[in-house]
Amino acid sequence: MTLRILNLVVIGFLVLAAAYVYRIKFDSTVQAERVAKLRSEVRHERDRIAALRAEWGQLDNPARIQALAKRYLALKTIEPTQFDTFDALPDRPTPPPGADSPDPIGGVIENMVEPGTTGSIPTPAPASAAAAPVTAGNNPPPKPAAAGAPGQ
Amino acid sequence: MSAIAETLSIRTTVLWRRGAARRLLYGTETDRGAKARARVKLAILAFVAVYAVIAVRLVAFGIASDRSAVHRVIVGDAIATARPDILDRNGEVLATDVRVPSLYAEPRRLIDIDEAVELLTADLPDLDATELRERLSSKRGFVWLKRDISPEQQREIYRQGLPGIGFLNENKRTYPNGPEVSHLIGHVDIDNQGIAGMEKWLDGHGLAALHMAGLATDRLQNPVELAVDLRVQHALRDELVNARAKYKALAAAGLVLDVNTGEIVAMVSEPDYDPNNPREALDPSRINRLTTGVYEMGSTFKAFTIAMALDSGKVTLKSSFDARMPLRFGRFDIHDFHAQNRVLTIPEIFTYSSNIGAARAALAVGVDAHKAFLKKMGQLDRLRTELPESAEPIVPKRWGELNTITIAFGHGLSVEPLQAVMGVAALMNGGILIPPTFLKRTPQEAAALGQRVIKPETSEMMRYLMRLNVEKGTAEKAEVPGYYIGGKTGTADKVINGRYSKTKVLTDFMAVLPADKPRYLLLVMLDDPQPLPETHGFTTSGWNAVPVGGAVVARIAPLLGIEPRLDLPNADQQILASVKESR
Repeated sequence: MTLRILNLVVIGFLVLAAAYVYRIKFDSTVQAERVAKLRSEVRHERDRIAALRAEWGQLDNPARIQALAKRYLALKTIEPTQFDTFDALPDRPTPPPGADSPDPIGGVIENMVEPGTTGSIPTPAPASAAAAPVTAGNNPPPKPAAAGAPGQ
Repeated sequence: MSAIAETLSIRTTVLWRRGAARRLLYGTETDRGAKARARVKLAILAFVAVYAVIAVRLVAFGIASDRSAVHRVIVGDAIATARPDILDRNGEVLATDVRVPSLYAEPRRLIDIDEAVELLTADLPDLDATELRERLSSKRGFVWLKRDISPEQQREIYRQGLPGIGFLNENKRTYPNGPEVSHLIGHVDIDNQGIAGMEKWLDGHGLAALHMAGLATDRLQNPVELAVDLRVQHALRDELVNARAKYKALAAAGLVLDVNTGEIVAMVSEPDYDPNNPREALDPSRINRLTTGVYEMGSTFKAFTIAMALDSGKVTLKSSFDARMPLRFGRFDIHDFHAQNRVLTIPEIFTYSSNIGAARAALAVGVDAHKAFLKKMGQLDRLRTELPESAEPIVPKRWGELNTITIAFGHGLSVEPLQAVMGVAALMNGGILIPPTFLKRTPQEAAALGQRVIKPETSEMMRYLMRLNVEKGTAEKAEVPGYYIGGKTGTADKVINGRYSKTKVLTDFMAVLPADKPRYLLLVMLDDPQPLPETHGFTTSGWNAVPVGGAVVARIAPLLGIEPRLDLPNADQQILASVKESR
């Protein structure tokens, strides 16, 4: 009796094991096919990239660019005098007082010594005080010394 | 089994044998039960053996099936060999592989040859019908019908559904830049084997072995980087094409060399060819004049003569030589082109390009020393680079005083222009002779390869002379403000039918930039330039090769990252002062 049960159990195990092995095998086949497919896709992609790179090289060829530039652009060959070094750059101008506040334009206007000295047309005092914010907002913050002179 | 044995064996000897076998198997005291058990055991053993064989085979199949799945994909394309991409020094593509379909047939599987010929010639009009029929009628298993067809043609032929006609994807080499880098890069044949230029060098370095083994079918991963800079190459070529048209020259050639590493940054020999159409390369007028031709370089060789004289210590910049009269040697008279008819110092000999002065300076050093010096500078031996094409210099067999006199001003010794550039680069870069290369090279690698040939002070003095020659000498027209160019001109009479021609010349110009801290050496060479109204009928180098050299420098210097420096003092202060300090 016990032997018969043992036999049945073993047969059950056998069936289960066979099913399991079959599944593994099947999965691995599917995976292998996927690998092969991906590999061929990678090859095709690489080939297409190579073709596109070749085309890019053709389009990017200096002779072609030169011909196009000559035809459509009014550019000239660069002259040695057009180069300059960073050492030759003038120093950055010191920012006007008030430029470091959260509202830089407003800060500059508030800190201006004399609000009316912009490049605008001089007007009587009360009106200029009202017009100043507009002009100052449109122009870069003027330096008090340099700005006033041409207008007046 | 025993039953069969019983029926067969009637004779007593056989019976006796059976008894013996039985005694061996079961012992003498046998009963039927023991016999049956033994038989069952035997059967079990046999079955176990059979199943073991089946199991082993199953495992073997299980392992093998994976590989066959991979192989299945590769069949159908990739039979022509792959080559690595070739890039310039900035990573621009110079040569790459593109997959193209090719048409083939398996004649044995064809059903109707006439139909196939008719349909194929309709789609591919350039296919010869009689030849096609011949190929399809052959008994071979495989014939190529047409390599490299367009995707549209492939689609059309595919749609006709002819049996025994198929396509294979092949690698085809393409050169997106066309003729720009032709001589440098070379080209391949129909089977993607390199047959010229760097392509051939690639085959000689491992690729051919890979092809043999059939491994180089897939795209190769590592591209090859060359020293050439495509932008510089284009600028040089553009200027040379213009110059060749302007001066109606037979040919124009140019080279840019990094004097500190020996890298060839640009090399052009016009007329050139399109590597996509290699048939053009067969035309002998399209040879690479820089490596396959040997030329008498003319006065450019005076740089070697003066450097030798200065380096020997027998001559200084203050020394002077008598150039009042033509130099008479046997029945030959050596004249000056820019005759001054007075005693000339070394800088004057260089800037007036005096043949007499150079010849006298060489004689002052001696014939043997002259020969030894040129040997040391690599001018007498064949120069080997990566390019398969190279030419042997033509050296006089017996080298006497007359040879030294003529070679001192660049006649009587023919060298590859690339070779002369290598030598002049050594005169400029502080006295180190570095073999030129087409591959990228670091300054450390160059230092390991380089050999000291002249003293650093001599090199400094040579740079002074080169600069002086642009400030007030034969190379004045090369001056581009800001780049501090130094240069030496050369005009050689061409040899026509074994005699020096009076009218046909080869002009060249070597420019170093910048002359105080040299980085690049430029060579411009024009073969048989014609006189123009604006050259006042002259064909000497100063009127054609020199202005071309100046134009090239103005274009390539920004590309090479050379910063223009305006307001530099003249050569006496900028270069010569440091020579005097170091003494």
